[in-house]
Amino acid sequence: MQEKLVEFANLLRENGVRVSLAETLDAFSASKVTGLAERDAFRTALRATMVKRASELPVFEELFDIYFSGLGEIIKQASQAVQNALSMSDQEFQKFLDQVEKMLQKEGKNLSELAKQLLQNKSGEMERKIREAARAVKLNGIERTIEENYFARALARQLGLDKIEAEIKQLREQLEKMDIGAELKAKMEEYLERRLKALDDIIRRYVRMEREKRDIKQKEDQRLNQIGEKSFYYLSEEELKKMNEAVTRLAQRLKNVITVRRKRSKKGRFDIKRTLRQNLEYGGVPFKLRFEKRKKEKPQVVILCDVSDSVRNASRFMLQFVYSLQDLYSRVRSFIFVADIGEVTECFRNNDAKEALDVALKGDIINVYAHSNFGYAFRNFVTDHLGAVNKRTTVIVLGDARNNYNLPHEWCLREIRQRAKKVIWLNPESRNTWGFGDSEMDRYAPHCDLVEECRNLNQLYRVVDRLVAG
Amino acid sequence: MFSSIEDVIERFAKNNYIASRRIATVVYLASEMRKPILVEGPAGVGKTDLAKVLAASLGFDMIRLQCYEGLDEGKALYEWEYAKQLLYTQILKDKISEVLVGARSLTEAVDRIAAQDEVFFSERFVLPRPLLKAISSEQPSVLLIDEIDKADAEFEAFLLELLSDFQVTVPELGTIKAKHIPLVVLTSNNAREMSDALKRRCLHLYIDFPDRVQELAIVKLKVPEAAAKLAEEVVTVVQSLRKLDLKKTPGISETLDWVKALTLLNVNSLDQELVTETLDTIVKYEGDVRKAQEELKDYVRRVRARRGTEAGSDKDFLN
Repeated sequence: MQEKLVEFANLLRENGVRVSLAETLDAFSASKVTGLAERDAFRTALRATMVKRASELPVFEELFDIYFSGLGEIIKQASQAVQNALSMSDQEFQKFLDQVEKMLQKEGKNLSELAKQLLQNKSGEMERKIREAARAVKLNGIERTIEENYFARALARQLGLDKIEAEIKQLREQLEKMDIGAELKAKMEEYLERRLKALDDIIRRYVRMEREKRDIKQKEDQRLNQIGEKSFYYLSEEELKKMNEAVTRLAQRLKNVITVRRKRSKKGRFDIKRTLRQNLEYGGVPFKLRFEKRKKEKPQVVILCDVSDSVRNASRFMLQFVYSLQDLYSRVRSFIFVADIGEVTECFRNNDAKEALDVALKGDIINVYAHSNFGYAFRNFVTDHLGAVNKRTTVIVLGDARNNYNLPHEWCLREIRQRAKKVIWLNPESRNTWGFGDSEMDRYAPHCDLVEECRNLNQLYRVVDRLVAG
Repeated sequence: MFSSIEDVIERFAKNNYIASRRIATVVYLASEMRKPILVEGPAGVGKTDLAKVLAASLGFDMIRLQCYEGLDEGKALYEWEYAKQLLYTQILKDKISEVLVGARSLTEAVDRIAAQDEVFFSERFVLPRPLLKAISSEQPSVLLIDEIDKADAEFEAFLLELLSDFQVTVPELGTIKAKHIPLVVLTSNNAREMSDALKRRCLHLYIDFPDRVQELAIVKLKVPEAAAKLAEEVVTVVQSLRKLDLKKTPGISETLDWVKALTLLNVNSLDQELVTETLDTIVKYEGDVRKAQEELKDYVRRVRARRGTEAGSDKDFLN
């Protein structure tokens, strides 16, 4: 049992669940308390001792099923399939098995053990045999799909499948000579045939299951990482959906980090007044020291998002990200523009982030099918909305600065910067292309405090992280 | 202590707590292995109650430590009672002068006072806080450390020593070892991730919202005066509300509140006008209330439709 638990712990680790040695020991002593007979209790014992994060529970459940019942389940299914093929009810099958046993006692003296177990449907013993063989061929080293065939063959060889095949063939020949009625004989023959196939099937499925064990979590991780690094522009419809999930998750992580950071920096200077007042009850002897609470200002944010076709995905996630972090800011106002500029703050306040995005990007607020005109949009912002910017506001502009050769009006950005705490420009285009063609990035960049490339989710995460940090 | 998993379920049931097998197994393990339980899960699924019932069903005292931001050793473990010490020195001034009579130098006087040190730093002047209480208690106890995620990370580190050795050191008094190792239950709402070191020392129990059958059983147990039909309807609606994307998902306690409120108002079916007005017992945000109303309307419509067809078929039958 110990061995099996250690192997299971390794398996969990391979799939990204952190299990320490101490926890494996705990699992062992817990399983002693619950015993192994009762499966659910055993499962709970392992879950309570080995998995400490709610998010890892699904991985555990899946692996537990595969690991502790996998092979047994496969064998059971295989014999069920044999029974179904012979179209017998449970009772009939049992009776039939008795007959098989009788026959084996007469004819099957020189059968190998595994063949006997197979024919007598002794799944527990078979399971042990197959597991031993699996260990001998190092089945747990399997990694890739293409190795399945190799391992299946190796396992079959280890189990002596050829020999069993020969033995069963021989048994069938003996059966021919036996005197047990034509019907039973036919059934018997079919049974032998199917059993042999079943063993082959068991081996194949077992090997596949072993491989699958190893990449449940891996796949998941890879997928999210890939999405993190993939440029917004190339996301497919399907990936957009997954992206939502990733954005939410990242936002949650960021929120945790920031909250802790804020808490850390809470002690300020020594507060004489409060210390004196507090210690009056001790006769003025300063037993308890009091410190000023340092106020950490939450940043205010104004976001200007270009929502023209070329950068719409990036804007979408920027908005979603910022709005899922709303309580980290004291105030968020967001504007979208192509050529006209319009405010969408209300829209987000009253709706889900998702609905709001749809409304914002549908074209009711501004004409989203126009040609980008950054200059025009900035000038309108300065005339109509400059009040939104004060000395505590961070202004984020998200856009590719492709201005279609219109007037850039970079003085507007300068004006905004004079009033704001900071102006940050995020460009979803690769840095190499800035300033070429109709890109006005070079004109706008001098008026920003920070210009960043923001092509994918990971970059976006880093930027927002820096932003909330102040 | 418990004799088996079934025993846990049974004794918990006697104390009005319906424990699933999973919960009961973990509780049983904890009592056998003498390990703390770290309970996680959404708000309102009975995490705190678990500790209370555990204490009640074993007949132990329950000592509760509510965590909050800025909780420190002084509030959690022990504190010297400065005020009392000062008062005593004031009252005993004469006695102290007596001790000092005939001291020839300042050094000698200080030495004499120092010899009396332990009078002022004795257990008499220690104000035990929950953790010290749990450790020094004569009776076996259940220690509930509630909402540990609200406390700072430093406090968590401090708890580690306590949870692994069940002893604390008070410099002036020495090390105090637990007479009875308390059963410890920690609860967390996942406001932040607990450190791995803490998790390693605990058994982990994740309590999720109960399924329909379980929740119904809980409602029947806790609000026996509620009409059976109402209870069923409420549970159905709450279960479907949990599937919505709400800011705060209603927990069991909210379900119970709602059933209680409706019963008080003499409502016995959800298709009455009054029901929408009581929705704020289960959903706590403006936006959520709107969503819940939609869901409720939907439900009532479905029920009415079903009833309509039934009535219709009755009519057919009569004709």
